[in-house]
Amino acid sequence: MTSNILRTAYRRRSSSILSPYQSISTFFQSSSHPQSIDKQQNHVSGFEFISKNAYGFSSVSNKRSTLSCGCCFNNTQMWFSTQTAVEPSTSDGLTVDDIVANQWTILDESESDWKSHASAVAQSIRLIKKRLKWKKLKVRLEMLSIQIEKPDLWHNPVHAGKISREHGSLMGKMKEVNGLERELIDHIDMIKLAHEEDDPDLELESVKALLRMRQSVKEKEHEALLAGEHDSCSCYIEVQAGAGGTESMDWAGMVMQMYKMWAQRHGYGVTVVDEMRGEIAGIKRATLRVDGEYAYGYAKAEVGAHRLVRISPFDSAKRRHTSFAAVAVTPILGDGSHHVQINESDLRIERYRSGGAGGQHANVTDSAVRITHIPTGITAACQNERSQHQNKASAMAVLQSRLDQREMARQAQMNAQYTQSLTDNSFGNQIRSYVLHPYRMVKDLRTNFEVSDPDSVLEGEIDDFILSFLTDSMDKENEEV
Amino acid sequence: MNLSTLTRASSLSTTITSTTLRRSITISSSSLSYTPTSTNPKTPLFLRPPIFTATLTDLQKFQNWAKTLTSSIGSSFKDSDNGPDSTILHRELNWFIEDAVENPNSLLTQSETEIGRVVKLRAELGDLYTLWKQRIEKRRPFQYVVGCEHWRDLVLSVEEGVLIPRPETELIVDLVCDVMKMNEEMKSGLWVDLGTGSGAIGIAIARVLGEFGRVIATDLSPVAVHVAQFNVKRYNLQDKVSVMQGSWFDPLSGFEGRVAGLVSNPPYIPSGHINGLQAEVGRHEPILALDGGEDGMSDLLHLCNGAEFMLKSGGFFAFETNGEDQCRFLVDHMKSVHNNSFCDLKIIPDLAGIQRFVTGIRS
Repeated sequence: MTSNILRTAYRRRSSSILSPYQSISTFFQSSSHPQSIDKQQNHVSGFEFISKNAYGFSSVSNKRSTLSCGCCFNNTQMWFSTQTAVEPSTSDGLTVDDIVANQWTILDESESDWKSHASAVAQSIRLIKKRLKWKKLKVRLEMLSIQIEKPDLWHNPVHAGKISREHGSLMGKMKEVNGLERELIDHIDMIKLAHEEDDPDLELESVKALLRMRQSVKEKEHEALLAGEHDSCSCYIEVQAGAGGTESMDWAGMVMQMYKMWAQRHGYGVTVVDEMRGEIAGIKRATLRVDGEYAYGYAKAEVGAHRLVRISPFDSAKRRHTSFAAVAVTPILGDGSHHVQINESDLRIERYRSGGAGGQHANVTDSAVRITHIPTGITAACQNERSQHQNKASAMAVLQSRLDQREMARQAQMNAQYTQSLTDNSFGNQIRSYVLHPYRMVKDLRTNFEVSDPDSVLEGEIDDFILSFLTDSMDKENEEV
Repeated sequence: MNLSTLTRASSLSTTITSTTLRRSITISSSSLSYTPTSTNPKTPLFLRPPIFTATLTDLQKFQNWAKTLTSSIGSSFKDSDNGPDSTILHRELNWFIEDAVENPNSLLTQSETEIGRVVKLRAELGDLYTLWKQRIEKRRPFQYVVGCEHWRDLVLSVEEGVLIPRPETELIVDLVCDVMKMNEEMKSGLWVDLGTGSGAIGIAIARVLGEFGRVIATDLSPVAVHVAQFNVKRYNLQDKVSVMQGSWFDPLSGFEGRVAGLVSNPPYIPSGHINGLQAEVGRHEPILALDGGEDGMSDLLHLCNGAEFMLKSGGFFAFETNGEDQCRFLVDHMKSVHNNSFCDLKIIPDLAGIQRFVTGIRS
């Protein structure tokens, strides 16, 4: 019995996939039998699309369909380049938007109610679309598709590379969201079918599958927050102690430790590139390299000044101190997508902390290298590698990242349209307060998100802070648009 | 488990540790001795099999002990002979543990439930204590302690009797690369590294040579020759690099006028300075590789003379020196004594800004 249902389901599924093509044949049929059009229209979801978009067919169609084809000209491109226009719907014509509009009550995940699951998934998809700025994304994608079709595109390979990378990335997003919609519709079809055929096992299984989708689509919501051009990159996190001597150096050390643990929790690779320790405790400054997908997308939410209030263990009078640590985050762009081409002759590369005659006179394991980019005065240093050569390579990578970041900020300023609210968070803005005394609380000053357990935060549990900030700034951005 | 069993268990484990500790320290006097006698190069710590174990707790005990010992140094070495301060020594300690533990990354992600976890080591825990004591109390160079030096993108085996390659010397390879960029033919030529020590320069050059390029690396010291051969094998360059024993040009008879490039980091410290050297260098590194005679120039001058008849026309040389005085002296000497034999003579500084290298082309 089950196999029988599956067969039916398969037939139905494949028919729904084929619907646009099927509708082409019905379309031809219909032009000779005009009455049948109305009958078909309710069932075949692809029909409307074809009649609107298939420019090629309008020439052979009758007067009636040519009229309905009035706006078809430009959309043809979209059909071939982005394949977005087919809106998936269930066998009885339910689309994702319909599901959202139905406002079925969303119950707890543990309640086995398919309408609740479906509604939750549909809401998530809508949120993802909103976060991706769906309409703008579609327009941009169409623009890129037109550019990519141009025969002279590769006359400028750098530009062409950029265009095709962006096109690929947007295309990927669009396909993913379309895939989610398709998946939701398929699950619903399956559940309904199982119900009709009175197969409770299959129905239960299908509801479970929908529940799994409900859970996994939540993660996609987070990913959709990270739709920025460089969000998927690895990054450097730089922490610098504020004024206030040992107490603030200790605080900077704690902040660094917080990011190390956060990165390890996420399974990111963590390397200390550059570290200047405080004389008594903590660090004066340090640069951490965090390797992994979306490291920059998340970490960029941490840019700004972090404030600590506590009774200082370094104060014999046990007074309460306030200290600051500044955090900067720069993305590590892949080869070929750098914004700045570094000219060797613009660099001053030097060994530092190396006193004395050097050479054979000295046995050293310290080969700290500092590179200065003379035109901008930007420097980068590395001393934690075991050879001078590797220190130089590491420092060079940090320098590249800083120069890229600087150039990106400059371009963003020039192009106000792309200014993200994130760039407002300059190095100095206070973003979060960690109070250990007289009460215990960590509060984000941008989102007002707060928790009363500073220890867990300092052990790297900062995801809630990051997500609430990213959500917040995205919503703000959308309001502005 | 109640409290008393817990206390008993922990005191038991302390006893076990301290006995193993004592035992391994007594053994280690033979296994860890560092007189340069053997002709079989020692395997660097990081390449040894991880056949020893310790609990994470015991490893942390070692770590804490070593940290305390290291911190006690402060800046006393630095003040006495420009040796390392405790910040640098702490970093060496981290590297030491990195080399000694099979999977150092696992140490980072420890959780409290894993405190009894067993860690695989490449040396007995007791030996780690002995080795770190040698580092701090005897000022044994870190590179000899772990048996290797990270140099450019290489990890070279080193041991007592072989000069530890210096970071400054890395630049010689950059200079050679520049020459090869300007003249592709140099990639197919014969290159010679005189006084190769661990084989560092020779190996690095061999890795940038073309298909037909070859390197001959020479050294007077049999220990150095063995270690260099070990390193050449490790980088699978036996077909490109031949290591030969002998003084300077002696092993090169028959190659006169055929050498495309000649590089060397010869001993250049004036004899009078040897006594005042940093303890790691003066007490542990081979004098043979350091003492350059009364003014430190004897070997450099010998190399200049040799370069004249070994290099083919258009051949390149690069020598490391003690600094500005030696560089100038060498350039003057080449201009006056070997007039018209060399051209394009240059003095090139290291990354610390010290005039360090003399390069030139055989006319």
